[in-house]
Parts: sequence; C-alpha cells; structure tokens
Amino acid sequence: MTVADSKFFAQGNVYVPHIAVIEKIVEETPGVRTYHFNFKDERLRKEFIFESGQFGQYSVLGTGEATFCISSSPTRPDHLEFTVQKVGKVTNALNRLGVGAEIGFRGPYGNSFPLDFLKGKNLVFVGGGIGLAPLRSLIWNIIDNRDIYNKVDIVYGARTPADLCFKYDLEAWDKDKTVNMVTTVDREAEGWKGKIGVVPKILEEVAPPAKDTAAIVCGPPIMIRFTFPVLEKLGFKAEQMLTTLEKKMKCGIGKCGRCNIGNLYVCRDGPVFSYAQIKDFVSSEY
Amino acid sequence: MADKKVSKKDIAKLLKEWSQQFAVLAPSKESGVAAFAEWDGKDTGFLDWYRNTVIPPKASFLPPMEEMFRFRKGKEGYNIEPPPNDENKRLIFGIRPCDARAMSILDMTFKQALEDPYYLSKRKNAVLVGLGCTNPYESCFCTSMGTGPTESADVDIMLIDIGDDFLIEEVTDKGKELIAKTKDLKEAAKDDGAKAEQAKKTAYDKVTRKLDTEGIKDKLLASFDDEEYWEKVAAKCISCGICTLLCPTCYCFDINDEMVKQEGTRFRSWDSCGFPNYTKMPMENPRQEKWRRVRQKVCHKYEFYPMTYDVIACTGCGRCIRLCPVNWDITQVIESVPDKTGAKK
Repeated sequence: MTVADSKFFAQGNVYVPHIAVIEKIVEETPGVRTYHFNFKDERLRKEFIFESGQFGQYSVLGTGEATFCISSSPTRPDHLEFTVQKVGKVTNALNRLGVGAEIGFRGPYGNSFPLDFLKGKNLVFVGGGIGLAPLRSLIWNIIDNRDIYNKVDIVYGARTPADLCFKYDLEAWDKDKTVNMVTTVDREAEGWKGKIGVVPKILEEVAPPAKDTAAIVCGPPIMIRFTFPVLEKLGFKAEQMLTTLEKKMKCGIGKCGRCNIGNLYVCRDGPVFSYAQIKDFVSSEY
Repeated sequence: MADKKVSKKDIAKLLKEWSQQFAVLAPSKESGVAAFAEWDGKDTGFLDWYRNTVIPPKASFLPPMEEMFRFRKGKEGYNIEPPPNDENKRLIFGIRPCDARAMSILDMTFKQALEDPYYLSKRKNAVLVGLGCTNPYESCFCTSMGTGPTESADVDIMLIDIGDDFLIEEVTDKGKELIAKTKDLKEAAKDDGAKAEQAKKTAYDKVTRKLDTEGIKDKLLASFDDEEYWEKVAAKCISCGICTLLCPTCYCFDINDEMVKQEGTRFRSWDSCGFPNYTKMPMENPRQEKWRRVRQKVCHKYEFYPMTYDVIACTGCGRCIRLCPVNWDITQVIESVPDKTGAKK
C-alpha cells in the first residue's frame, strides 16, 4: 500500500478529516507527549488499517493541521498513537487539549517499512530523541512477529536521560532476551548507567555486522547525516539503510509541493526511503 | 466535414449563445490586471488588447484562495461540512496554447495518487477554447517548450485569426460536440485553410526567443550541489514569489484554518517555494537560504517534473520573465547551467 485507501476518505473528500477522540495522554519527556486516540465513527474504528511507517495529518480544528507518524503498531490495533514535541502552532494547541478532546485525522498516508525486505534479516534500529516514534511502531510489530526476523539491535539515544522517549518501551526491550537494547545519552549524567556518547559513535562501538542486515535510522537530521557514514564504514550498502524522513507538509498527498527531496515527495514516495533513493539530494537538502 | 468559421464581429453573439449552457470566462481587465473573468455579456474589446493575461487561467481551477470545508463546534463535538463539488460548466474563451498546455501539466499533479476533488470537479466540466497568438511577447519561448502560438494539442476548440474571421479547429470530442450544437457558424471558404496556415507560420516566426533544453534534466542533476552556481543564479532574486504565483504550471498551496467563536473555515491559498516560510518547520528549515529556494524552483520545473512525469513543467509563457521586478530570466539560467554530466559518475 503506497497511498491511503479511498474507503478511509471522510465524506468522499480526501481533505476532510475524520473526527477522533483523545483517550489517553502520556508525558514522555518535558515537552514530548504521546496521544492515544480512537475514531468517533464506530465502523472506522473497526475497519481502519495502517502499516508501520505510515503517517497521518492531524487537525486541531481552528488552529490547523500537522503531520505526524503513527507511533503505535498495527499489531496492537485497539487504539492509535502519535507522539509529538510541543514546538509549533498545532503541537502547542494539542498540548492544551485533554483526554476526551476531539481532533481531526486524515490518513494513513505514505509508504511503510518494507516488511518483505526485512523478513529473515538482522535488524539494527538507530534512533535519536523523538525519532524513535516511527521506529517504535516497527519494533513492536517485529516483536509481535518475532520468529520471522533474525537478530534485533536497538541503538537509541537522547541528549540527557530526561530526554529519552518511551522509557516504558526501552525497559521492556531491555528485558526482552531476543533484543539487544543499547541506550545512550550525549553526556555523563548522575545515576546514568547506560552508554555515554552520541548515537553514531555508539553505533560504531556496537558495530553490527552488515551481512544480511538492514539498518533502520530515524532521528534529528544531524544524527541521520552522521549515521549513514558510520554504517557505510561498517560495510552497509545504501540499499541496506532505511530511514523515515520528516518535512513540512500541508496536503500529505503529493500536491501542495513543499516536502520534496529532489524529485521525491516525502508524503507520496516516502516517508520511508532507502539511502540509495535519496543520497543524490540528501547532503544538501536535508 | 467542412471547417467552420466565425466572424470577429459575431464573437459577442457566439459567447452569448455559449453563456446559455456555460459560465463563460474571457479575458478582462475589470480587476485591474488582465485575468479570466466571467464574461459581462457584451464586451469583446479584449480581442483588440489581449495578448495574454497576467493571472494565468489556472486561477479558475485552483483559485488564489479557496474554501475547503467549514466546521462547527457544538455540544456533540465537531461537525465538518465540505462544500458540494463545484461542477459548474466553465468555458474558458481565449486561452493561449501555452496556458492550455499548462493546464494539462497541472492535471498530472492533481490526478496522481489521490485525486484532488476541488480542482478536478471544476476541471472535468470545463471547455477550453483556444485563441491563437498573433502578437507574442518578446519574453515568450513557447516554441522551444513543446507547444507554440497556435498549437491546438491542449484545447478543445482552437480559433485561428484569418483576418475578419476566426477559423475553427475542432480538437476534442467535447469540442466537436459543442461546435455541432452551435448555431450561426459560417462554412469556411476554400482558401481559409491556406490563410490559417499562413497565419500560423507568421505567428511561429514571431516567437524569436529560443531555449535549448536538450539534456537539461541530467545537467541540473549533476549541478545540484554546485552552490557557487546557485548563489550566482539567486543573487538578484528578492524572493517576491511572483514568478511562481503567476506561473501557469505552479500549483503549490498552503492550508490554514480560521475560527471565530464556534465556527471555522479551512481554506487553501497559493503558496510559493520562493518564500522562506514555505518549508520552515519549528526546529529547522531545509531551504532557509535563498539559493536553495531558487534552485528548488528551477529544478522542480526542469528536473524533478521531467523525472516524475516526463515533461518539463514550463510552457514558455514568459510571465516569469515579463513580471519579475528584478529581470531574473529563466532562459538565461537554463542556458548557463554548467555541464558536469561527464564529471559525475
């Protein structure tokens, strides 16, 4: 599936959002929250499907619309989740909403992580800060279908221990014997027992072998830029490196123009790309 | 079947007849600049002054500002009401071939993947009646861009100026049907065809500006990281956005909400890749520097659109050259792209 299924159009119009209700709010870090939500429409609640990596357009009606990935896993479909940092107009308006408030949702949009390609491979997840949100959807997806994938390494970091998102997931993955969880923070901090150093550096230490492996990278642009060369050094080919990108979007469906990287629209052709697809443009456009 | 023609002095009569079943839009200066506007029922003075409009005809399908839906917050939560699809039958009278080609180029974007209901509902019921150019601007370079001043490929009906009359070319089935139903058209005379051929040749010869686009897609790809070149190209640009807003193939739009008390509107409006806010996210902006935005504009038209749709998203209408306040010239830019295609892998 590369685009939203037309049966998910509200009122037959691709731009009209569905009304959804916030069911739970989780404070991840100061400024980052995960919102659990469900559609108001019962039929949609049952029929809505998506894949790990896809995103939605979320409305706070009256304030506007913004783009966030779905951070929950399709293997756990009783509700949907998205995770945002309070940095702009819409995310600030979201921050003022409580449980029970209504938001708008259009989607799911964009492509998804290529599960067929990942099947049977070793997987290395490389995440930074809130960039764990889309990876998390895939990580739970894989843990829920654990036997069809090989080794799983997760290298995740944030500036400080307080900036680590999804601490409850990190704990669960740390306990999971089938997953190698490596958590790092940029600088030493009191009481911190994990690694110290930026994510690309720790990834180099962990040094996952490139053979039969796929790396899935998401984080701030600067982390992504420094991670690809490390992977290359470890022997990864451009086709083995996947990332999911974030750009300013308005329409989400390849028409409003602004989210392109070269000839590719992040909304229409992504958000999941292999490094091979974007390397001509990524150095100077991302 | 013999060709038809219509006398120039009968154009008002013809438009009146077409007004019975269409919203007829014709060139007008009513708003202060030349644009397509609802025909007033009598004036055909545009036949004398009209060379091309300042505001391209895309505005009739993708308006500068357009309501997407209204919403209301009530006791039971939000209620959203999209407007009914605008399926009014529009007849654009006098569209130039360059702008008609631009409509075909816009169609590709609005049709691909998920269809855009606002644009396509208007577009599918529209009839384009082209008017061949007799007096192109110096800035026009349509003949280098796969069209020409009398090219009929993208219209339903084409009118060619043969002196006192317009010779009618019925191009599409839609056009043929309309002409078959139209009363009071004259049969073309034996030599009218030859007259039209002569008029076309004269018009083509008047488009003197040429642009060589051979291999441009690959050249731009190879020069994408040539910051020095793009800095030079962008130096005089003042990021006013005119070249994009008034480009007949540019479609970028913004989406915003307005809400007063419990009622609100979501609307879209023209936007431009020339504006720094266009790509600005709260934490970063991939095109903060002007040269990156100018590069985007040029590459979108001559590199990315061809990569996706196999067609250059420029029709040589010349508006971006005529209307630029600092004389930025796309043809000079395209001609000066360094050829590094041999140097890069």
